[in-house]
Amino acid sequence: MTKVLEVRNVVKEFPGVKALQGVDLDVLEAEVHCLLGPNGAGKSTLIKCVSGALEPTSGEILFMGEPLPAGDPAGSLKRGVATIYQELDLVPELSVAESIFLAHEPRRGPLLNLDRMYRESEALLARLGHDSIPVRAKVGRLRPAAQQIVSIARALSGNVRLLIMDEPSAILDDAEVTTLFEVVRRLTAENVGVVYISHRLDEIRRIGDRVTVLADGRTTATGLPATTPTDQLVELMVGRKVDQLYPERPVGTDRVLLEVRDARRLPAVRGVSLQVHAGEVVGLGGLVGSGRTELLNLIYGLDQPDEGEVVVEGKPLRSHRPRQAIRQGLGLAPEDRKSQALVLDWSQTKNVTIADLSRFSRVLLKIREERERAREQLRALNTVPDDPDRIVRLLSGGNQQKVVLARWLLHECRVLLLDEPTRGVDIATKAEIYRIISDLAQSGLGVLVVSSELEELAHICTRVLVMREGELVAEVAGKDATERELLRHAVAPTDAPVLAEEVV
Amino acid sequence: MTEAVRGSALAQRVKTLELQEYALAIVVVLLFVVGAILKPDTFPTIDNVRNMLTQASVVGVLAIGMTFVIATAGIDLSVGSVVAAAGVFGGILVGSDGTSSLLFIAGTIGFALLLGTVNATAIAFGRVVPFIATLAMFSIARGLALLLNDQLPVNLLDLNGGSFGNPRAFSLLWFGNGRIFGIPASVYIFIAIAVAGWIVLNRTRYGRFVVAVGGNREAARIAGVPVRRIIFSVYVLSGLLAGVAAVLLCARLGSASPVSGNLYELDAIGAVVIGGTSLAGGRATIVGTFLGVLTFALIFSLMTQLNLSTEVQQVTKGLIVLGAVLLQRPEARY
Repeated sequence: MTKVLEVRNVVKEFPGVKALQGVDLDVLEAEVHCLLGPNGAGKSTLIKCVSGALEPTSGEILFMGEPLPAGDPAGSLKRGVATIYQELDLVPELSVAESIFLAHEPRRGPLLNLDRMYRESEALLARLGHDSIPVRAKVGRLRPAAQQIVSIARALSGNVRLLIMDEPSAILDDAEVTTLFEVVRRLTAENVGVVYISHRLDEIRRIGDRVTVLADGRTTATGLPATTPTDQLVELMVGRKVDQLYPERPVGTDRVLLEVRDARRLPAVRGVSLQVHAGEVVGLGGLVGSGRTELLNLIYGLDQPDEGEVVVEGKPLRSHRPRQAIRQGLGLAPEDRKSQALVLDWSQTKNVTIADLSRFSRVLLKIREERERAREQLRALNTVPDDPDRIVRLLSGGNQQKVVLARWLLHECRVLLLDEPTRGVDIATKAEIYRIISDLAQSGLGVLVVSSELEELAHICTRVLVMREGELVAEVAGKDATERELLRHAVAPTDAPVLAEEVV
Repeated sequence: MTEAVRGSALAQRVKTLELQEYALAIVVVLLFVVGAILKPDTFPTIDNVRNMLTQASVVGVLAIGMTFVIATAGIDLSVGSVVAAAGVFGGILVGSDGTSSLLFIAGTIGFALLLGTVNATAIAFGRVVPFIATLAMFSIARGLALLLNDQLPVNLLDLNGGSFGNPRAFSLLWFGNGRIFGIPASVYIFIAIAVAGWIVLNRTRYGRFVVAVGGNREAARIAGVPVRRIIFSVYVLSGLLAGVAAVLLCARLGSASPVSGNLYELDAIGAVVIGGTSLAGGRATIVGTFLGVLTFALIFSLMTQLNLSTEVQQVTKGLIVLGAVLLQRPEARY
């Protein structure tokens, strides 16, 4: 079979760091080649070198046997290399068709040929099996999953030969992942080569043909069959065995720490009541768009509820603002660490202490004490490195998450709200975060965890609550919870509509 | 973790901010040396240094306030106009034959504080983009400065018996022309405000909050920082310091002119930016601002002594600011 892409001994150096130290990779026509590796292994750097966003320091990148122009994104795109990044880079205000043909709009003389644009967009979406997406609707109104299909259609609107997908499933729920995989199979049937990056090992067996593993900027294995046992893949990724992914399930007590009474904020949250006890890990599952994150935001006071009450340790929240919530003992580790939780150019210390600075503040800040206390918390969570002066931007996703957790440990919060605590985190660190969550619960905290990975909820929670279309629809005891069982509750009885607002 | 990654960690420990501060300190020294070589008779003299510092102190005070504003990823374009309006307001408050320096100072600072509060309210509660809100105030305050006294300057020499001679300590003209140990009073005030600014920015909870809001507003909110109050406060602070700058300027000139303070906002922003504070917010340095103010003062004093016209100086100023912003572009990330 023809090789679409050949990467030969590519090295990429940044000032002071070798991000890639000799990487090899072959991608064949019509195959899905999975790229695995812990955070910081160099996966993003590698795909940026291929897409032309970065120029490799040395080494060769051949596309269809010809060298790709280095550091020339437009050149790579023109030859048929399309990349779909983890964060969707669509303009919400543009229509679906405009997004698909952005920067290469069909024209009639100097004017846009809108008819052709709509027609061809419809054809492209049909080719992907998604002709239900309205081409005239604004992209911002689509569900994330549909937006991703638009991104793929956009890649296809050129003559794509190689499609690179950076963690496409991270923002999707299981049903949507299945649809995505169908789309990917249609592409490979048309001889497109696909590079697929994911942290979820189970996906690799479902969609992948071959696997390449990166660790520390080197290829530790390349061209393995996708049937390679998980243990072996994990070992290649982290360089050691991960003994136990899931810790023991916390049992919980009878003491109610958090009570939510009929919280309502239409359209996302339609009257939810729940309790979290001391010592419990309560899971909140559901499909993307079921209102899980919105519920956490209501509890924490980021959004104002239309109705309802949040009670922490017997005291109702006096006002729905984060400051008040924090004061009464809540802490939130939000979904998107980088944009919602951290000041990336700050040291670990400053990021840890920001929610509880008054502890160190008389008139002036006690800088030394602040640093010491931050270091204690970072050590307790086994953050690597525990250097309190290290800039947070340089940490891996897992360690950034630990910085956020350290913040709430320092604050001695009573109830911890965790939104997708292991998103974008490699498997070894995932195990560590599960252990931390379990330890925190056993020390008497109440933990409420939102996750798209139902398997994870099924393994770490005392109880799992399932949301669907803004309501709680099921409660499953942790020991009885399985991924399949949770999914059955989470899936809407009808097919999920394409437009986000149709749910209203 | 590999050796390479560890190496980079070490490199990152050398904070970029400090590097820029050292570099700028060297620039200040070099500029002085160059001046001393080019104009050995007039540049490195006590009189000239005194003069430079006195002039720099007005913009310097503005630049300290601007550092706080820019740290929140904001901007205050109105400070130059506010200086003029506040001075004229203070002037007509005491009247042409007034004798109370204190009334002038209180009136001037009070008026500047009021205008700053208008900015703050529009931005923090009206949710107007800082650029537009303060651009509007840039026009409003200049208009007020011209309207308040029929476009005429207010003579303030009567506060000192009609001349510049021997101002009493802590009377208005003393702030512009008085000296302690040979150093002008206004320079002490600038340095005191810079030191206070450094302490507040680096050693108080408030300062930490200011930088947090600029570094990541959403994260700051989720961590419990009262974001709106912080944003409000920096524009009030900027107004307050514009009032102090107006007092220093009027004190030096012995009058309050409605056309004074023109383009001071550019000087202040320029000093902040070449000092290394990020226009995108989240990174702020008072030491850098202080050195930036000195850099500007040295460059323009030297250019004046070399008989380069103010027009040439203006072009140079713009180019320096542009260059500093270009150097600040976010580096490629991986």
